[in-house]
Amino acid sequence: MNAPAAILEVENLRVSFGGLKAVNDVSFSVQRGSVTSVIGPNGAGKSTLFNLICGAIAPDHGRVRLKGNDVTGWPPNRIARAGLARSFQITNLFFDLPVEENLRLAAQALEPSGKLLRPKRHSQRANAKVRELLERFELSHKAGELAGYLSHGEQRRLEIAVALAGEPELLLLDEPTQGMSHGDTADTSRMIRELARDITVLLIEHDIELVMGLSHWVVVMHQGQKLSEGPPEQVRADPAVRKAYLGEA
Amino acid sequence: MHPANTVVSPAAPAPARRRLGVQHLVIAFPVLSLTFASIGAVLGETFYLRLATEALILAGLALSVDILLGYTGLLSLGQALYFGLGAYTAAYLLGQGAVGFWGALLSSLALATPVALLAGLVAIRSKGVYFILITFGLAQVAAKTIYNTRELGGSDGLVGVPVLQADFGLFRVDLGSPVEFFLLMLALIMGLYLGLNYLMHTPFGRTLVAIRSNEHRVRFLGFDPWRYKLAAYAVAANVAALSGAMYPMLRGFVSPELLYFKMSADAVITVIFGGVGTLIGPIYGSVALVGLRTVLGSWTEHYHMIIGALFMLAVIFMPRGIAGLFERKESGPAQDEAERT
Repeated sequence: MNAPAAILEVENLRVSFGGLKAVNDVSFSVQRGSVTSVIGPNGAGKSTLFNLICGAIAPDHGRVRLKGNDVTGWPPNRIARAGLARSFQITNLFFDLPVEENLRLAAQALEPSGKLLRPKRHSQRANAKVRELLERFELSHKAGELAGYLSHGEQRRLEIAVALAGEPELLLLDEPTQGMSHGDTADTSRMIRELARDITVLLIEHDIELVMGLSHWVVVMHQGQKLSEGPPEQVRADPAVRKAYLGEA
Repeated sequence: MHPANTVVSPAAPAPARRRLGVQHLVIAFPVLSLTFASIGAVLGETFYLRLATEALILAGLALSVDILLGYTGLLSLGQALYFGLGAYTAAYLLGQGAVGFWGALLSSLALATPVALLAGLVAIRSKGVYFILITFGLAQVAAKTIYNTRELGGSDGLVGVPVLQADFGLFRVDLGSPVEFFLLMLALIMGLYLGLNYLMHTPFGRTLVAIRSNEHRVRFLGFDPWRYKLAAYAVAANVAALSGAMYPMLRGFVSPELLYFKMSADAVITVIFGGVGTLIGPIYGSVALVGLRTVLGSWTEHYHMIIGALFMLAVIFMPRGIAGLFERKESGPAQDEAERT
């Protein structure tokens, strides 16, 4: 609230699993309309941080504010309704349902609950959204195919499309290029840049070049703690970061 | 089975074509039933008409199981609780002369809804095998309670349910006539089928399918799976109670056996045999199993063994049930639970 342009504020977030401090006193904020990236070596606590933000796990200490509202401890479905969507590092789709149905389910969240018992063909807004996303993510020709039968690259695209179907204001992408070929990674990078014109993106990514090219702001994590943050060039030049992460990579 | 790990299928099946076979099953059922009823009426048949009516009543219980198992991904081993609840409510009130046909049906629903919401609050909170055990336990507790309640006839059950006239305004159905009762039950079960089939194609129903498919993901789309599961549980309970209420009207009595594990388990077998997640399959499954039981039962008292063996063969050779034989390719809602567990 101190910065009205911040869509997400994370304050002193802390969570332990057993004796391990997975996320230890992490604070940062995400400005509306920006692309913010969280980087760090494996086990730095990036995914745990995402899980804390989207409500999958509750923090031991600290606050998460979404659009100025304290959403700490809210269940994931409530946070999703408040305008936050996420994709998963390990593709997490409705594998035994058609591509189209995956998207329609996600778009259905746009409908008021009073329309819950109307036939699905009547939900014009959701259906329009499904068509738009099928085209945008080049999945139209696969609309009737079961999501489980798509190629890896297609599944990764669908993963992002599903996250977008509910028209979130803030999109959390957990390693969207995970396991992708070089060409697909370039496509995804272009796509994220396009997305960022309309919504705010918070990204976890391993691909440093992709992060540096896309992000307005970079948060570096190391062993559960925030090591550094700033614009990409500044972070790249930070000796602590070079030592902990970039130097080793 | 996890389709993500299977080979990419080169040709995607057209959804319209895929459903065609099952749609034929939907049309064939009333056609076959009406033919059967006509023959029965001409021959003045009683036994087989009443047996077929019972199969339709049990099909209602199977539909109830299918909503949970086939669409929501919840295996209930205690669905007979609601069947018995409906049966006892109807038998008790009808025996007292307190209500007529419609009153008996409405009372069953009026009782099943709060009981289901209360039991659902407990059962839905638990996952997987714990849900199964709780549904099983709840039905056992209810059965034993009735067994030990003298006012409800104890182990003897309730007898002396009068033969009813169902008043539909324009016409009356004499439930004493085997043909008329059969036709009424056919109309009721097809009505239930159409209603539930509609419901499963609404956003509500599609969300249930999504929960069955991947409950974890559903939460991050903004839905609270718990609420949907509770609603599905209540709908299923009402379907079971409604068909249960028809039972004493046909047989003239109710007994605690209606709530026993065997009833619940038979309903699950019916659904798997008929085709999980198809709604129409379990209706065929019910007719097939009641028929099998009667035919085999007239030959040998060990017919359970034969049915058990047939069930195993069916699971191996037609894992998607009777309805699966009419499907061209795997489709979402009909995903076979037996394959996955």
